[in-house]
Amino acid sequence: MKHTLRNIFHSSKFVVGFAIFMFLLVMIIVYPLINPGSPLEQIGVGTFARPGTYVSLYDAVKTTPETLRIQDADEKRMANALTTEDKVAMLEWFSAVGVDVSGLEMDDSEGFLELWFANYDESAKPKGFTMAKRNYYKRLNRTVLDLQTGEALVVADPDNETGELVKIGEIKKTDYVNVGQVTNVKTLPLGTDNFGRDVLKELVGATKTSLGVGLVAGIVATALGLTMGLLSGYIGGIVDDLIMFVTNLFTVIPGFILLILISYSISPDLRGPTTVAAVIGFTSWPWTARSVRSQVISLRNRDHVNLSKLSGHSLLRIVVTDILPYIASYVVMAFILQVSSGILSEAQLSLLGLGPKTTVTPTLGLMMNWAMSYSAHINGTWWAYLPVILTITLISFSLNLMNTGLDQVFNPTLRD
Amino acid sequence: MKGYKKYFGKKILWFLITLVFAVILNFVLPRLMPSDPVSAITGKLAAGMSDAAAVREIYEHYQEEFGTNKPMIVQFGIFVKNMLRGNFGKSFSQYPREVSDILATSVGWTVALQLPAIVVGWLIGNILGAMAAYLRKGFDKVLLPVSIFFGNIPAFAMAVILLVVFGVELKIAPLAGGYAADMIPNLSWPFIKSVISHYQLPFWSIVLISIGGQAIGMRSMSIYELNADYVKYSRFLGIKDSKIVGYVFRNAMLPQITGLALSLGTMMGGALVAEKIFSYPGLGSTMYKAVLASDYPLISACTLIITIMVLLANFILDIVYGFIDPRVKAAQLD
Amino acid sequence: MKKMSKILALLLTLAMVCGMFAACGGSSAPAATEAPKATEAQAAAPAATEAPAEPAPADDNTLPRNETLYFAGQQWGPVNSWNIVGTNQNNSMAIAGNAGGYRSLMFETLFMFDFMSGEKKGLLADSYEWNDDLTEMTVTLKDAAKWSDGTPVTAADVAATWEVALLTNNGTGGSYKAYVDTVEATGDKTLVIKSKLNDAGKPVNPLKVEDFLTGTPIAQAAWIKTLRERCNDDPTAILNDKGEDVVWSGPYTKYFADEQKVVLVRDDNYWGQDASMWGKLPVPKYIAHNIYADNAAGELALKAGEVDVCQQFIGNIQNLWLEDDLPISTFYDEAPYGVCLTMPTAWYNMNIPVVKDNVALRKAIAMATDYEAIIANAMTNQSPTFAEVPRSLMNPTAGEQALYDHEAVKDLQWAGNDIEGANKLLDEAGLLDTDGDGWREYNGEKISLNAVCPNGWSDWQAAMQIVAAAGDKIGISIEPEYPEWDIMQTRFTDPSQTDYAIFMWSPDAASPSMPWGRCNQFLSSEFVGLQNNWSGNWGQYVNEEADKILKEIPLTTDEAKKVELYTELVKIYLTDVPSFSLMYRPNLFHAVNESVWTNFPSADDGRNIPPADCTDGYGIRALYELELVG
Repeated sequence: MKHTLRNIFHSSKFVVGFAIFMFLLVMIIVYPLINPGSPLEQIGVGTFARPGTYVSLYDAVKTTPETLRIQDADEKRMANALTTEDKVAMLEWFSAVGVDVSGLEMDDSEGFLELWFANYDESAKPKGFTMAKRNYYKRLNRTVLDLQTGEALVVADPDNETGELVKIGEIKKTDYVNVGQVTNVKTLPLGTDNFGRDVLKELVGATKTSLGVGLVAGIVATALGLTMGLLSGYIGGIVDDLIMFVTNLFTVIPGFILLILISYSISPDLRGPTTVAAVIGFTSWPWTARSVRSQVISLRNRDHVNLSKLSGHSLLRIVVTDILPYIASYVVMAFILQVSSGILSEAQLSLLGLGPKTTVTPTLGLMMNWAMSYSAHINGTWWAYLPVILTITLISFSLNLMNTGLDQVFNPTLRD
Repeated sequence: MKGYKKYFGKKILWFLITLVFAVILNFVLPRLMPSDPVSAITGKLAAGMSDAAAVREIYEHYQEEFGTNKPMIVQFGIFVKNMLRGNFGKSFSQYPREVSDILATSVGWTVALQLPAIVVGWLIGNILGAMAAYLRKGFDKVLLPVSIFFGNIPAFAMAVILLVVFGVELKIAPLAGGYAADMIPNLSWPFIKSVISHYQLPFWSIVLISIGGQAIGMRSMSIYELNADYVKYSRFLGIKDSKIVGYVFRNAMLPQITGLALSLGTMMGGALVAEKIFSYPGLGSTMYKAVLASDYPLISACTLIITIMVLLANFILDIVYGFIDPRVKAAQLD
Repeated sequence: MKKMSKILALLLTLAMVCGMFAACGGSSAPAATEAPKATEAQAAAPAATEAPAEPAPADDNTLPRNETLYFAGQQWGPVNSWNIVGTNQNNSMAIAGNAGGYRSLMFETLFMFDFMSGEKKGLLADSYEWNDDLTEMTVTLKDAAKWSDGTPVTAADVAATWEVALLTNNGTGGSYKAYVDTVEATGDKTLVIKSKLNDAGKPVNPLKVEDFLTGTPIAQAAWIKTLRERCNDDPTAILNDKGEDVVWSGPYTKYFADEQKVVLVRDDNYWGQDASMWGKLPVPKYIAHNIYADNAAGELALKAGEVDVCQQFIGNIQNLWLEDDLPISTFYDEAPYGVCLTMPTAWYNMNIPVVKDNVALRKAIAMATDYEAIIANAMTNQSPTFAEVPRSLMNPTAGEQALYDHEAVKDLQWAGNDIEGANKLLDEAGLLDTDGDGWREYNGEKISLNAVCPNGWSDWQAAMQIVAAAGDKIGISIEPEYPEWDIMQTRFTDPSQTDYAIFMWSPDAASPSMPWGRCNQFLSSEFVGLQNNWSGNWGQYVNEEADKILKEIPLTTDEAKKVELYTELVKIYLTDVPSFSLMYRPNLFHAVNESVWTNFPSADDGRNIPPADCTDGYGIRALYELELVG
């Protein structure tokens, strides 16, 4: 036993797979301690906030500022509001309405603004300008109008009694606050999703559920498959024929379709992660059964089994002591594969909207489903779906890598 | 010869029984779904109607037409009778289209997408696997983990990634459909070109995933064979390496060919995910839509096609193996 | 060295095999398209013979981009029929009733509805006139109106359309037979529509008769005769006929349809180029709609410029121009971007005792719900807020808003996200948490409800999620539930269902009979107890006072009196809370990409064309004013 374990941990493939898997497990356990609370809490009112650090504007205004005279601050503001593309667009407008732009340099932002305010008319419809383009100029005009504000913005608060605005402070262009001093700062490493939930937090919670789903599916499938395979292979005859007939039925009606039909039929309020896991397990046992059966058939006429039979040992005892140990390594590997395919099946089902119906626990498939139904993949909101895909792939990669490692340990010919 | 007769007789008997049960399941399973498709059709027609009695009449009209008000066993009788005549009735969800008409159009696309994808994925995977087994060393060290990684990317993830990278970001591949949005099908060169370019992404999304699994399988089989006693013995006898390798890979191929035949059988199930993400027409998405709409006739017909294909593939394999595989031969003579 | 050559050989084989299969892959795909093509040739043949003036399909088989207007979001499956009488089809481009006005590309109605102004504008008909007691309406048809075969559109066509509607009980028959008694041709171009009368000898509902004018596509009497003859007057056969030989009156006709798309082509003999109608032909020669698998695919095509007009909900649509710099715009250039005509609503199921017995419970949940979050999150702000348009039975259009007295119901309004107020209301009503488990009880039992909407309707699901969250905060357990659409519709149309306590559904949007029709859907007991109830009042709410007013409104012509009655209804609605609206929503989403075409309707262009996807009701006028970019 010890020897086998040592061998297993000498396999580089197993170790890499094991390391990835352990990393995921540790994340599941540790991260909720760092960032406690429900993973499904909606913190954002809007959808898909970008990854990054968010500073409370309200608190920032109330934080004592430092005055920093930074040379290019104004330039940056100007460049941000009036980009080169904007200037080119302005030139297009000028030429459309017939304004002379000779002598205007590209870096002369002030000059551009002056000409712009003199010549832009929101109601004008220059020939060939589409509605989208005119809307663009409207927005550009609003942005550059904002540039016209003075040195300081005034902060005002309505008076409790009269409701009149009373000035309580002002914010100068040179005012800076230290992020560390602002009371409320929130870092969202993976932004928020369509419901305004913290994606990273949700991802960790979902990984946990999905691993659970895989585990349950794997246990159900392996237990069923093992039992059926043992019975069919060892007893043979009519039992074998019957069990093989059932597994044949399962191949003839592909598992995934069966899965879709069954999931669809289970009423949504009952369709929790455990139910879905059980259904997945129930539809995926036949191949384990088939492989176990063929292994048992090759074992059942071995001498030690025959000896047991002659000694009058019970069926159970023969199976447990003379057959199971010889196929144990194989069953472990089959189990690992069942776990990994269970996780994939959940994701696949959820993507079709037939996965676990739950608003209490997140699953990887549900996250993917929501991201896709909000078209995150085509709107450039990568943080809503890419980490999910990566996690699923990593889980299944690490499990399969471990499996390959085990395979090489148990079948020495496969070793490099 | 008697052994063969008995062997095939038993096989055929089991296949027939499986077929019968599969047909029953194909009929019963969709009808266990807890929804009322007639109500769905009524809903579509009744949108905007404010006279409720009129809606009721429409409902009864379609209940009568589809026979959903008859007992299940009577419905099954009608189903089998029509099925034997190749008539699957009218689709609920695409009423009044014939199910056979819907299938005729989608089966073509599915075969065109899946057949080459499965075969190409199988070929590339097997060649890579064989190379890994034969060359070992660096090639194997890189190939195996890469194969495992690619083999484990979920199908939908691969499809989404291909779509985003090549379609949305790089804009070098079309985004949706089986041919260009501005074309009318015809047999002209531009149209064929358009079909091919639309074919790329769904095709590769299937191929890339299947390569990994095939390569791993072939690699293991080849290594087993390469270490088999007969190889060592042949080497000892000084038989030319190329000749030995030929034998080895031919033997290793056998189980792989079984796999290919089976996946060709299940091919009809369609590449649901690829079809859905690339808006590619085909059986997978047809069946998925049918499930969502409780379109019994369409679901039953789709699952029946799949069943028959898989059964056929299995059957042919069994027969062929019965003739060529010495081990099966031996079993019959027992 | 030996090994190297082996690798080389292996690689070469690999390359060859790949090449070979890539080639096979290429050629086998078009082979598969032969099947659809063959059926198409048959389908296209009758069309070609019937319209000889139509140019033969171009020898190049590509639709010229600058003559084709592409749509998305209307057609979700392959077209199954062109039979205008049938109404069984999914042919959204050619045959589609829509609450915002009939889609009249191929088949035309008597009048076009303009949901912005509420007007009915003449199409096949010029004018209509009621008699004084609203029992008879005289309609005069346009002189110029003609069918595609050159024969004039006559009153007999309208009468035949009605006759076959009654025979088959198709959409037209089902919708109007309770309100329209007879349609009689009194001359070549004049006809009389008689209202159905109730026991008191008064018309049942003249408003619905007006709906008939804008909602019924007229079919040709001669073609109906052919159809009826070949079907031996069997209603089912008539409804199922594919109508490949149909005669049309509209500016477009079928050109091509398969699994992937449907294309209509302009009929250059269209009667509407007469000065009495449009005076010209619509600009695009082809109208094409590719069939996309889902919203994402349609949106991608819009972004890529493959779609010009998109009828899909696109979350955060402003990002398409703000971030992606695409030439895409909507009717309004700022939120809510479109014209909201309806309000998806959470209905309370009165079959459930705790819901039925406790107005306070119904109101408290409505008060606690965070509408701001729903509108920001589910609708991504493409809806006015309830602060901007206070809740009532009216949609946010100015016309409907003017129909009730806002001041009179002001005290009944609630703002939303008012946890304190809701808790207080529940406490006062005696719905307390007596056993201290955090949930309130009624008659000693924990109040446990669910909030239901169809799976995959993402914005609605988000809304239900937020309603459920509100329940948590006021000690009412509300579990969101998303059954498949097919299952949900079976249940909520069942008048005795107790499976869904709160469920989401949308009342009708806009038509000449609105807002009466919508008020009726919200409050009328006429729908209570009806099997397969698709029509209204899905929560089985009964209020006799409301019933009385609902019967009175259609017969009221005095505007001030009307306002009084509607105000009364809004009062009942806000007091009893039989349902509560969660957001406003357009009937048609309308986003356009100006890569090829421009001059689409916009709010500030002064043309007053409703944003109805250039196809529905009076919105079709946009097609006549499109221009190519540049």
